[in-house]
Amino acid sequence: MFERRLYHHIDWALVAAIFALCALGVVMIYSATAARTTSHLYLTQIYAIVIGSGALLLTLSLDYRAFTEKSHLIYIGLIALLLYVMFFGTVQMGARRWIPLKFVNLQPSEFAKIGVALVLAKFFADNRGTPSWTDLVIAGLLTIVPLGLIAREPDLGTAVTLVPVFLGVAYLAGMRMRILGILFLGLVLLTPIVWKFGLKDYQKSRISTFLDPSQDAKGAGYQQIQARITVGSGGLMGKGFKHGTQGQLQFLPVAHNDFIFSVLAEEQGFAGVLVALGLYLFVILRSLEAAQLAKDRPGAYLVLGVLASFTFQVIYNITMSAGLAPVKGLTLPLMSYGGSSMIATLAGFGLILNVRMRRFTN
Amino acid sequence: MLQYIVIGLFSVLAVSFWVLQVIQHDRFEEMAENNNQRTLPLRAPRGVVFDRDGRVLVENRHAYSISIVREHSKDLNATVRLLAHVLGLDPAGVKEIVDRHRREPTYRPIMIIQDATLAQVTAVTAHRLELPDVVLEQVPTRRYIDALAAHLFGYVGEVNDAQVASDTSLKSGDIVGQQGIEKSYNSLLMGQDGAKRVVVNSVGREIRTLDEDEPAEGQRLRLTIDSDIQKAIEDGFAAAGEGGLTNAGAAVVLDPRSGEVLGFSSLPAYDPNAFASGIDRATWASLNNDGQRPLQDRAIQGRYSPGSTFKMAVALAGLEEGIITPDFTVYCPGHADFYGRPFHCWMDRRGGHGTVDLRRAIAESCDVYFYTVANMVGIDKINKWATALGLGVMTGIDLPNEVQGLVPSTQWKLQARHEKWYAGETISVGIGQGAVSVTPVSMAVYASALANGGTRVTPHLLSAVDNGSGWKPVPAPAPQSTADIDPDKLEAIRDGMWRVVNDPRGTGVTARVAGRDVSGKTGSSQVVGLQTHAADKTNKSLRDNGWFVFYAPREQPTIAGVVFLEHGIHGGNSARLAHHILETYFAKVDGRPVPPSPTPDTMKFDFSDADR
Repeated sequence: MFERRLYHHIDWALVAAIFALCALGVVMIYSATAARTTSHLYLTQIYAIVIGSGALLLTLSLDYRAFTEKSHLIYIGLIALLLYVMFFGTVQMGARRWIPLKFVNLQPSEFAKIGVALVLAKFFADNRGTPSWTDLVIAGLLTIVPLGLIAREPDLGTAVTLVPVFLGVAYLAGMRMRILGILFLGLVLLTPIVWKFGLKDYQKSRISTFLDPSQDAKGAGYQQIQARITVGSGGLMGKGFKHGTQGQLQFLPVAHNDFIFSVLAEEQGFAGVLVALGLYLFVILRSLEAAQLAKDRPGAYLVLGVLASFTFQVIYNITMSAGLAPVKGLTLPLMSYGGSSMIATLAGFGLILNVRMRRFTN
Repeated sequence: MLQYIVIGLFSVLAVSFWVLQVIQHDRFEEMAENNNQRTLPLRAPRGVVFDRDGRVLVENRHAYSISIVREHSKDLNATVRLLAHVLGLDPAGVKEIVDRHRREPTYRPIMIIQDATLAQVTAVTAHRLELPDVVLEQVPTRRYIDALAAHLFGYVGEVNDAQVASDTSLKSGDIVGQQGIEKSYNSLLMGQDGAKRVVVNSVGREIRTLDEDEPAEGQRLRLTIDSDIQKAIEDGFAAAGEGGLTNAGAAVVLDPRSGEVLGFSSLPAYDPNAFASGIDRATWASLNNDGQRPLQDRAIQGRYSPGSTFKMAVALAGLEEGIITPDFTVYCPGHADFYGRPFHCWMDRRGGHGTVDLRRAIAESCDVYFYTVANMVGIDKINKWATALGLGVMTGIDLPNEVQGLVPSTQWKLQARHEKWYAGETISVGIGQGAVSVTPVSMAVYASALANGGTRVTPHLLSAVDNGSGWKPVPAPAPQSTADIDPDKLEAIRDGMWRVVNDPRGTGVTARVAGRDVSGKTGSSQVVGLQTHAADKTNKSLRDNGWFVFYAPREQPTIAGVVFLEHGIHGGNSARLAHHILETYFAKVDGRPVPPSPTPDTMKFDFSDADR
């Protein structure tokens, strides 16, 4: 199954960039949590990277077509897990997101991206030609079902990451830009109606706070202002490893998680930011190349599906880390603390490497 | 195409970070420092105050204040509710305090409790995490030992707006002296507050100290006060209170050579400790509404008729102006008519004094003698010599808000009342009634001037200052004036004063201390007109005020002073207090133990109607 010549087609540069980002993440988690002496979150993160590497090897070694062929089973399994979470998951911080396993808490929503990417890749690959309205509606439903289940947990941030998966695959499958335009126009027209009837007061306040954070400096706008202060105070060269004040003194909430990039910006400065941005850009461009090189449509679709949610999450999280976007519980893939996210992301890159590696095989 | 979109988005991100981290860096760096650095004030203790023998009179203790710093409040109303609950206070009251300071900058602490109990401190500490905007501050607080001499020390309190406006070195929230020496020597006592810059985390916990500017303690003051004399005065008043005589009055004891104040009391008093920890409204209101006016410093602010104690001034005027000699005699049948009106001597009911000369007139306090002399001398010469002895003028004591007494003159009446002075008005002035009014402190100066030969010493309380480098004596203030008095003439008056105390027929024999040649003069002054007076002697508030001015020993006196008992009936009762003060003083001079505290029984106050 794993032929020796395939080994030579592994994109080692991409692998190196991915693990460089993982290492950067561990270092920043260590720094952000060092003040809490009892915490060894960075060790947990290293375990997650080890397990994630195993997952990566698994998704790399089997032919990706085996995964797309069986994607309907994977998809059904995913829905089952999400339903299980809905009824039996453990509650943390007001959300029911986790399935407690022996050593780790599994967060099925993180794996939904891969599941949806696989099933959409197979669906659009099976329907040759420009997708019809029916195709788009069916693909949309395939996305909406897990999205709705995750949103109910509630975990709106993770749920939203499924939208780029759909858009990425549909775009590559030839969905007319006009349709995208119509969807966008509809959304704009709906906005005032949604604002008036669809949003709860606290949601409205979140949005207005985003537009002017200072109007609620201690409430919803607090994290956003603190994020900006964290990043801005870092300066060109940063305050130095473990010398950040915003992260160390916990002015920035969940610094090791959602705001890990802010910690990097504070302690390593603009220089560190450029290095990390460069690595992420390299990973994304290199993966896009894998999509172009893919020898078949399922391969290309799969790469873009996985990559779309990754890219969306990276750009959104970094924007949020600088206090330039509303605060959403959205992690930075590869760097943020979180086992399920790390394992799912590495598994996803296993598939991307897989497609590129098998571009010459039949 | 997708790769160009991604590159474009990443470029936008890079530019955004460049703007935040490089262009706007200074602004955010300052905001980060504001986040995690706090400057905490370190209150400087006020200077410790000692008596002349080095005994501590006023010191400091550690109190804890509890304040809200709104800058760190997430939900001010929740803080107010929780804090009130934790402290066991009424939330509405706490809210009111916060509202009162609403316009001040949010970083300035709003003090909720100035002197918290241990239980309150513990309770707030236990709720630290829920109350990140509540600050517990250790504040040095004044402690007045034994609560002696309240009006002398005065009290401290938070600086008011007018004081901040007039003195640039003060800032809102400072504790400054508001009365007494706390006020007059505030600039010495106050010290320099320090500050501590600390790093705090997001819940306000102090992580480490960046730097610390130690507070500088206020300068130490050594007063001229002698605690034993002070205690003797207050013990005497306590006995007068217990004995049902009076609980109001004043006493000032000086060294007649220098003006050093050895003892100083005004009663009733207040507890300055109550002010030190922030007086509550109820206590303040009760002090203000008390009919006995405990906040008034009677020693420097009370104005009373001097009664017969004024006679030495009249005598001096007569002698110095060459109108009488010490051998000038007057026949006292108990009353005399002047300008068609009868004037009575206090001996009227017992047939008068008979023929008296100056010495006897003073010793037995003959009114008719001094009516006659006053009539001969005239008001303006009396005014001249009373002023020379320190009456009707300010003494210049180093205490705030001294009030000036009044010795009338023709000029005064013209200016103040736009009326001519009538010769008939001079008669009452001859025995210290009528328009004359004096403060007890000016009477102490008067006694000193009679003791030292005519020098109006300036009473003062400060003897030395220690700013940390050892005691530096403070030179005594210059005398207000020195009158050119013929010693022989004065000696006649002093003879009379000696006989007041040492002649069996003298009015002040109760002050006598064996072998000490105490000299003095009693006086009593009517509170209301004579007729009402006679009709209702039993009403305490209508009883005469009792005076006793004294000095000792007769030659080269080293102590002089006044005891004033409001509604004390007789000068003789005041002389009993003076006796205890003098006994204490001479016991100390001899190195003997001071006499035990007097009781109403040992004081043997005279409640009889016999006047003067």
